[in-house]
Amino acid sequence: MSNFNFSGKCWVAGDYIPTDQIIKADRVFLPMAEAAKFVLEDDNPEFGKHVAPGDILVAGKHFGQSSGRAVAVKALIATGISCLVAESFARTFYRNAFEVGLPILEAPGIRAAITQGDQLHVDLPGGTVTVLRTGQVIKGNPIPAFLLEMLSGGGLIAVAPQLIEKDNEARSGNTQS
Amino acid sequence: MNLVESILARASGRRKVAPGDVVIADVDRMIMHDLSGWITAKVYEEKVKKPLARPDSVIMVFDHLFSPPREREADVLKTDREWAAKYGIKLLDCGNGNIHNAVARGGFIGPGMVVVGSDSHTPVHGALGAFAAAIGNDCHAGMVFPYGKAWFRVPETVRVELSGTLRPGTTPRDIALWLTAQIGEGGAVYKALEFAGPFIEGLDLFDRWLFPLITVDVGAKCAYIDPDEKVFQFARELGVMGHWEGLDVSPPSARRPESVLRFDVSKIEPQVACPPTVGNVKDINAVVGHKIQWAELGGHGGGRIEDIRMAANILKNKSVHPQVRFNVVPCSRGVFTQALQEGLVQQLHEAGALWFPPSTGSNQSINMGAMAAGESMISTHARNFPGRNGSAKASMYLASAQTVAASALHGCITDARGSTP
Repeated sequence: MSNFNFSGKCWVAGDYIPTDQIIKADRVFLPMAEAAKFVLEDDNPEFGKHVAPGDILVAGKHFGQSSGRAVAVKALIATGISCLVAESFARTFYRNAFEVGLPILEAPGIRAAITQGDQLHVDLPGGTVTVLRTGQVIKGNPIPAFLLEMLSGGGLIAVAPQLIEKDNEARSGNTQS
Repeated sequence: MNLVESILARASGRRKVAPGDVVIADVDRMIMHDLSGWITAKVYEEKVKKPLARPDSVIMVFDHLFSPPREREADVLKTDREWAAKYGIKLLDCGNGNIHNAVARGGFIGPGMVVVGSDSHTPVHGALGAFAAAIGNDCHAGMVFPYGKAWFRVPETVRVELSGTLRPGTTPRDIALWLTAQIGEGGAVYKALEFAGPFIEGLDLFDRWLFPLITVDVGAKCAYIDPDEKVFQFARELGVMGHWEGLDVSPPSARRPESVLRFDVSKIEPQVACPPTVGNVKDINAVVGHKIQWAELGGHGGGRIEDIRMAANILKNKSVHPQVRFNVVPCSRGVFTQALQEGLVQQLHEAGALWFPPSTGSNQSINMGAMAAGESMISTHARNFPGRNGSAKASMYLASAQTVAASALHGCITDARGSTP
């Protein structure tokens, strides 16, 4: 897992799904393991009930739009999925995913290339998704190095002290970089 | 450098920044509401456990949950109050208004500031010449609370130039709804939007406000309008000009936006954003006659004095349609006072409207405004996703205050320019 390569069975979700439909506002009062069962309850009711650890979710356009709450990402992590691929993401969702620690990849064209249940291989640093059934390789948008480092460091809260220290050094001009 | 680049350069201690740079910037103001504050506080207490770097920069507003309906919600507010008191952060308790209006009108936001918030409409403060972006709970808890800072990727800028004159009966809100469809949901992902041009310059501050409000819908990171004398006067009266001093902003002619979009507003009809998404915007003709059971001036896009005046103008000495409940929600205590002084509260009350406390109204129907399956509401809200206001089989239509009031009068979606639907 540390090399951010993932293989698994995929589930699909639609276009323009807001965070309130990833997990409804009311469900945030539940313990996370319980809330996970209600993820995408309107869009793909089977997902929350039958998702297995290591599965991969493939979503459509502008996934995670509307409210920017990180709890949408946390609920997805609680389902046990290894990673999430989408045609495109809302920016607050994209930011939250790396801050909280959910590996995600933007891969335009992915939805047309797969059907639910396909086995996929996702190479996050390489930015590719391979559909094992067809052998097709979809090229995703490269992830900025800064975000990959945040992800491998365990998320923003874990890496914040180093980021701040590095920034303080840069501001006082005490570093060669 | 444009406004956002200048603000981020200064806040990150750099002489210059360019799109794509990742910077750690000092945060001048962090705003959160009841539910996001509760979640953020939980993350902070469990995972961070450091002293708050700048409690004076943090403000919490109770606006979504403005009157707890059950014990569970009362507990959320109690926890929030205790948490705010423990760290010495500013709290605007129930009834102070919609979060963004309460902090802007309360003198907490000024031009040149770095503003962050968990509410996705935080970019609205770009109307005051601030760099304002929505960020998540973990960034608030992990960087803003303990260090007073946040990370940002400097965005590319799209300049949106608006010219022309409104047709009679079309309002700035109609243009903002129309623009959402023109730019498209997710049509400007990660960008900064620079709203400019003679149409924008001619608007008053709280009409300009409606434009950065669409930032999240088109996927952008932030939006702004270069502040002018109208903004400076507002900021001077509230004593929030400090962050503008010494800011090095290039004139528009010296900037290089990634792209420029130009629109003429002169021929735009009143607009309605229809379910299921904010980008499904139509000329009002397409939906005139659709029966409604609810109408509301409230949410992030309404409840301004301008909205209340428009509604009173239409409903004065008349009656709200017997099949419709018309909710009116002032966006701040100051606006409610103004509505009282102008006699608008009595006029709308006598017409049958229901007044609610200054808040975000039925946004997400946390305290009010849930619909049953098959019901429809027309409102000034910013969102219309199914299930946000009660049943996933209810319908939310978004429009100007004028269209909302005319529809409340006739019991169906109504073009305010004609006398009957």
